[in-house]
Parts: sequence; C-alpha cells; structure tokens
Amino acid sequence: MSSENIESIVNRCYEHGFVTDIATESLPPGLNEDVIRAISARKNEPEFMLEWRLQAYQQWLEMTEPDWAHVNYPPIDFNAISYYAAPKSDEDRPKSLDEVDPKLLETYDKLGIPLHERARLAGVAVDAVFDSVSVATTFKGKLAEAGVIFCSFSEAVHDHPELVRKYLGSVVPRRDNFYAALNSAVFSDGSFVYIPKGVRCPMELSTYFRINAANTGQFERTLIIADEGSHVSYLEGCTAPMRDENQLHAAVVELVALEGAEIKYSTVQNWYPGDENGVGGIYNFVTKRGDCRGDNSKISWTQVETGSAITWKYPSCILRGANSVGEFYSVAVANNMQQADTGTKMIHIGPNTRSTIVSKGISAGRAQNAYRGLVKVLPQAHGARNHTQCDSLLIGKECGAHTFPYMEIKNPSAKVEHEATTSKISANQLFYCRQRGISEEDAVNMIVNGFCKEVFKELPMEFAVEAQALLNVSLEGAVG
Amino acid sequence: MKQTALSLPALRGVVESMSDDGLRPAREAALRSLDTRGLPTLRDEDWKYTDLSSAIAISNQWLKNGAPAASDDLQGSIDEITAAVAANWLIVANGVIDDTRFTPGDAIDVERFSATTAPIVADRALADLNVALLQDGLRIRVHATPERPLGILVIDSANDAAAVSQANIEICVSDNCSAEIVEYHASVGEGDHYANTIVSLDTGYRSQVGYTRIQNRRIGHVFTGRISAALGTDSTLDMANYDIGGGLVRNDVDINLAATGAAANFNGLYLVGDNQHIDNHTSVEHRVGPAVSSQEYRGILNGSCRAVWNGKAIVFEGADGTDATQANHNLLLSERSEIDAKPELEIYAEDVKCAHGTTVGQLDETALFYLQSRGIDKMQGRQMLTHAFAVDLVSRTPVDATRDAVNALVSARLEELIRVQAQ
Repeated sequence: MSSENIESIVNRCYEHGFVTDIATESLPPGLNEDVIRAISARKNEPEFMLEWRLQAYQQWLEMTEPDWAHVNYPPIDFNAISYYAAPKSDEDRPKSLDEVDPKLLETYDKLGIPLHERARLAGVAVDAVFDSVSVATTFKGKLAEAGVIFCSFSEAVHDHPELVRKYLGSVVPRRDNFYAALNSAVFSDGSFVYIPKGVRCPMELSTYFRINAANTGQFERTLIIADEGSHVSYLEGCTAPMRDENQLHAAVVELVALEGAEIKYSTVQNWYPGDENGVGGIYNFVTKRGDCRGDNSKISWTQVETGSAITWKYPSCILRGANSVGEFYSVAVANNMQQADTGTKMIHIGPNTRSTIVSKGISAGRAQNAYRGLVKVLPQAHGARNHTQCDSLLIGKECGAHTFPYMEIKNPSAKVEHEATTSKISANQLFYCRQRGISEEDAVNMIVNGFCKEVFKELPMEFAVEAQALLNVSLEGAVG
Repeated sequence: MKQTALSLPALRGVVESMSDDGLRPAREAALRSLDTRGLPTLRDEDWKYTDLSSAIAISNQWLKNGAPAASDDLQGSIDEITAAVAANWLIVANGVIDDTRFTPGDAIDVERFSATTAPIVADRALADLNVALLQDGLRIRVHATPERPLGILVIDSANDAAAVSQANIEICVSDNCSAEIVEYHASVGEGDHYANTIVSLDTGYRSQVGYTRIQNRRIGHVFTGRISAALGTDSTLDMANYDIGGGLVRNDVDINLAATGAAANFNGLYLVGDNQHIDNHTSVEHRVGPAVSSQEYRGILNGSCRAVWNGKAIVFEGADGTDATQANHNLLLSERSEIDAKPELEIYAEDVKCAHGTTVGQLDETALFYLQSRGIDKMQGRQMLTHAFAVDLVSRTPVDATRDAVNALVSARLEELIRVQAQ
C-alpha cells in the first residue's frame, strides 16, 4: 500500500461529526439542589423521584472522584456542565414519525439510522433519544399487544411508578460509585423496558443515544426488567457530533432478570473519540450491571467500543439465581489518543452459575487499552464455572495494551480459567495473504475481523455489519 | 478496616539504643522515610488482599519489650538444615550474622554492611523498616564459579515474648560466572514472630544463576520477604520458590530486565493449610528487548486458609522482542480456602509475545475414580494426584543440592494437608 494511501485512511475524519442546529432549552451550568429540583419539576416528576434525586446528590457530595483506572485526563469541573438540555419542541412532542422535526430525521440519516426504513425493514422499534428527551417512539402498538412496556424513563415514572419504585436503584444503588451517584441525582431521561411473564419480546428493541448540545452532560438511565420466563434483546448505539471540548457521559444501565428470563444487551459505541492529538472527545464513564435474580436466568452483554476519548465501563453480572448464566463479549478499539479501561465483573453467588468472558482489545496509534475484570466466586456458589479469554492486538509502536484480571475464588468446587495473549499482527499472516493476491489493507482487515469474530457473531445481524464497518473505518491502514 | 499503626516513637527509641556503628546514618534516614511513607494498608492496590496488622502488632509488642535473648536454642535446627543441604552456609540467626560455618574461598567474598561505606538502598516502607532495625547486612560477591552452592539461612526463634528480626543481603555475581544459591527461611518457638528480609541480586554479563528459595517457617509466624534481581546482558536466572510453612507470608519477587538477551525463569509452589495466608507478588520489568521471562506458580490449598498470587509483567516502550509468559494454577480443596489470583500485563511496546493463564479447580474426580477402580484407596489416590500436581515444580529446582530436601519437605507437607481433608 502506498504511504499516501495509508495517510488518507489514517487521516479520515470522523464521519459522524456534525452539529444539528436546533434551538435547545438548557439549564445554566452548575450543580446544586435547585438544579435538581428544576430538572425534576420540568419533567413533572412525582415527589418520590425528587426525594430520590436529592438523596443521591447528598451522597454524591460526600464521595470522591475515583482515580484508579488506567486513564489520564484533566480534572472535570462539575460546575461547568449544564445538566439539562431538551430540544425546544418538547412542548408538543410528535405523535408519529411524520411529525418529527425533519432536521432531526436528517441527523439520524447522517448517522446511518434511517428510522422509517430501519423500523420497517428490520422490525426494530426505536426509542430515539436526542440529547435528553425521547422524541420518537415507534411500534408501540405492536409491543403493547404483547404487553411489553417500552417507553422513555420519564413516561415510565408517570405511567408505571410502582415498577420504577420497585426496581430503580436495586441493581446499581445510588451510592454505588461516584458517577452512579451523579447520574442518580441528575439523570435526564433514558429507556424503560418491562417484559411481562412468559413473553418473548416480538422484536428487538433499540435506542440511539446522541449527545448534541455543547457542554451538556448526558446522564442516561436505562432500566430493563424481564419478568419470569421472558426474553428480550436490546440494542444500544451511540454517536456524538464533533466538539472541541470534552463532554461527559455518565450513564447507568440496570438489568433485572427474574426466574428463567433472558436479557441480551448489545452496544455499539461510536462516540466522537477526539482528534489525533487528543483534543475533544467524549468521556464515557458508565455503570452497567445486570442482576440474574431468578433461577435459570441469563444476561448477556455484547459491546463494540470504537469511540470516546476515554471509555471507563464494566458491564457486570450478579449471578444470584441458581444455574444463572452471565456472558460478556467485547471488542474495544482504541486509536490515536483514545484511552479505554473496560471489562466486566462476574459475581457468582448461586449454585451452578456459569459465566463466559471474551474480550478483544485492539490498540493503535498512541492509544492505551486496558482490560480490567473481576471473577468472584462466593462460598455458597457450588459448581460455579468461569472461562475468561482476553486477547490484545497491538498495531503501532506507541500504543499500549494492558490486562488487570482479578480472580477471587472462595469455593472449592469452582472451576475458573483465565487466559490472555498479547501480540501484534504477525508478519507471516500478512505475507501469506499478500502472496495470495490480497491487498495489504484487506489483509489487515481480514486479520482484525478474524480476531474479533468470536464477539461479532454474538451481535444481532444489523449491528454486526455496522460494527465491522466501524472497525474498518477506525483501523484501516493503521499498519503499513 | 482500620489497621493498627506502627509505634514510631518506640521504634525510634530502639533504633537509638542500637550500637553506634557505620549503619547509624542509614538507620536514621530509613526511620525518617518510614515516617513519611507509612506501612502499606489494604487500601494500597498491591496489598489489597494482605493485611499487615499482625506484623505491626508483633512489632509494637517487641518494641515495647525490647530485644529478645540470644539464639542458643537454634543450634539444633541449624545443624539439621545445613546437614540436609550441602552448601557453603552463611547464617542470619535472630537478625545476627553468623559466619562460623562459612568456608571463605577464592570464589566468594563476603563483607558486612557495617564494614563499608556503600549506600544501603531502601525504596519502600518495608525496606525502611528493615534498614531501621538492621543489626548488620551481608554483601556477597561471587567472582568465580564456586564449587559448592552458596547457602543463606535466615532462622529465628520466638519463645516467650514476641520477636522481630531483619535480614538484608546483597549478592553480586560477576561476569561469566555461574553460581548456585540457596535461600532458606526457618523459625522455631511458640511465641509470635515477625521476620522481614530483603535480598538483592545482580547478575553480570553472561552469568548463570540457579536460585532455590525455601520458606519453611513455623505455622503462625509472620514473614515478609523480598528478592529483587537485576539481570545483566545475556545472563540467565533460574529460580524456584517453595512456600511450605509460615503464617502470614508475603513474598515479593521483582525482576528487572534492563539488558538485552537476559532470561529469567522463575517458578513457585505454595502449600497452604489451616491458619496460613500466603501471598506471592511477582513483578517483571522488561525494559529492553530481546529478553525472556517466564513464571509458573502452583498452589495447593486445604483448610481455613488463603493464598494470593499477583503476577505483573510490564513491557516498556521500545522493549521489542520481549517474550513474557505467566502461569498460575491452583488446587482448591476446602470450603474454607480462598485464592485470589491476578495476572497483570502492561504493554507499551509492539513486537512482543505475552501470555498468561490462570486456573482454579479441584482434583479430577474421574482420575480419582480410575485410581480407585485399580484398587488404590481414595486417600492414597488423592495423595497421588495432589503430588502429581506439585511434583513438576519440585523436579525443576535449579539447585541440585536442594532436590532431596525440597522433595522431603513437599511430600511431608502434602501428606499433612491431605490428611486434614480426610478427617
């Protein structure tokens, strides 16, 4: 491959970098009780939610920002962030897609998420989150027929307060960690899913998050409850337009799987990673946790992380029910100045619980990519089983790949295995492909895709295609 | 959890009462440094699983009571150990150097810290504690290939009162020499004891070092020991660590690969039973390449006990041609045992091959059934399978002279461990 060619690919701009010019109605920057009251009031929340937020805020004030992750960034000024932004059209929210602001639809088009087409062809109901308020929800009727509740968090607070009260904070408590507490205090909106007993959700549910207005923190809150014997697959995709200042994203995702239920949660995260000098980009500090509360339940996390300046998240499973299963499949790509510290926690509490971890890290440019994981087997978890595999691929001389796996085993009948490898793309593999007439760029692509295949095969079809495309954009030509 | 603090005023009192020799400035500097650093607590990432409270409590008691009596009661044990392993023995008994059994020869020079003005390095809190309370240290230079292995026996006794001892040894192996070294730790007595040891090893150009370290202290006695090795160009270090005894034990093995062509191969076996907590922390710094490191640690746990293994490999920028492997395998045989394992890799170079593997499991029931079907009783079958898990590392001891002794110690300890399970 000619060096010009490499350069043009390496310097390829962030394709999703644009700003939609819609007037937004924001609160002034800063955080105090009044801001929280204002957020709560604007959303017409019942008293219990306000109480909950204020308690979280008090707890957050007592906490200190964690610094143990393998990432570096300048200190965040939490008082310089505006904690609420909603598109102006909030007053008269659209009833159908036709009523949606065409500019907004254009935004999604640029992102490659044509709502109509996608919704119709793929049979996916999309609860699109634009900044902090849901603006369009499709296929509600079909879901309602099955008894599935799929709505924005704010709607759920009004329409299903009993479910919200019962499950909110039951997986990720308010004071779980610094960013979870912050999120609990100021969360703007998010998605709420409830699958009733024995129901197999008739379609895959999907939400697109998107951070738009400058200087607005995005504090999403997602809560998914799968009642006994139900099944749901949930897709989450994220992109953010180009901004020079770093933007904070501190989301919380809580999953509850009751007896025999199964939740599959897939994420493709492609937020703006900053430019090649590390200017701009999203700080993605997210708490995601699933609770296999009932026997024979299953929670599966699949993530493809290609964006964000800093990614700091550990989708976890608490395997409480007997025979419950936790899975974590991850591809994390860090290029240029990106930093990623990601992994999972599998807490084995119930007997015969099983977990699988497959993590693939790819580092290129001057990026730092770390896997951090915990497998904990408690004394009562007889017959617990874990297999962990984390592999790292290095592309370039200045990047770093790190693994920090913790294993804490307190039961003698547990079987735990962990293996990890780190290597670069082998010259032999490249040579073999070249010798068969495959261009260097295609060869690298093939090798990287092969490296990630174990994870991609876990993704729903349309996500897998997008994920491969994202990977190619991020990495093509990084090896010359 | 709040950790008891070390009584610094009492420590200062003891340090001031120690003999006014050449070590005094180093002791005082260490005391000041300890004051600022403070001993590690559970909040320190490297000490997350190991609580030094008992070591601190013993130290405080000892500081209050003053130094214990002489070490006459140790002669029997010393005779036994030195007879079991044929080596040229240097002994540190209750922190006091005893070179009466050492035959000075052409190959090895020995001098005491107090006899020279060379600086004494203390780069962390436990080293500060060591230097502050150090009676004297040994500086050993191997400048030709010795006929017999060099033996270093650190042995302590604690009878009625709590006791604390320090040992500090620097070993330098010159260019083109090969040396076999045995580091042996033992202790006797009913009382509480805390021993804190530092060994630093420097290997010269193209030197070869075989190093066997046996820790067989009394169950219940506290031990923290560190060995740091800096490897020279094209030199090899072959090391084996055997943890048989001890109560709270923390071993730190730090390997620095700052010269090309160096190879470090180190293994460890820990046999952990009731009332034991054995923590092995290893760290390998690949500063240049090509260089090779490989480590394999195996543990057998039975009874109310805990083991920790934390293996870290850091590959620095530019250390291309690094090949680093880590393996840790554990047999967990009791409901009251816990293993905390953490293999870490930090890689900042590109052309590297790094891999680690960790497993935790129990004896294979099918294998046990097979043995039983052949007329071997269950207990014996367990013994055989457990022994088979350990024997691989026993046979790899790099110092031939220790082979029989290690074998005997491991077999005896395993028999004890398995018997406990059968009861």
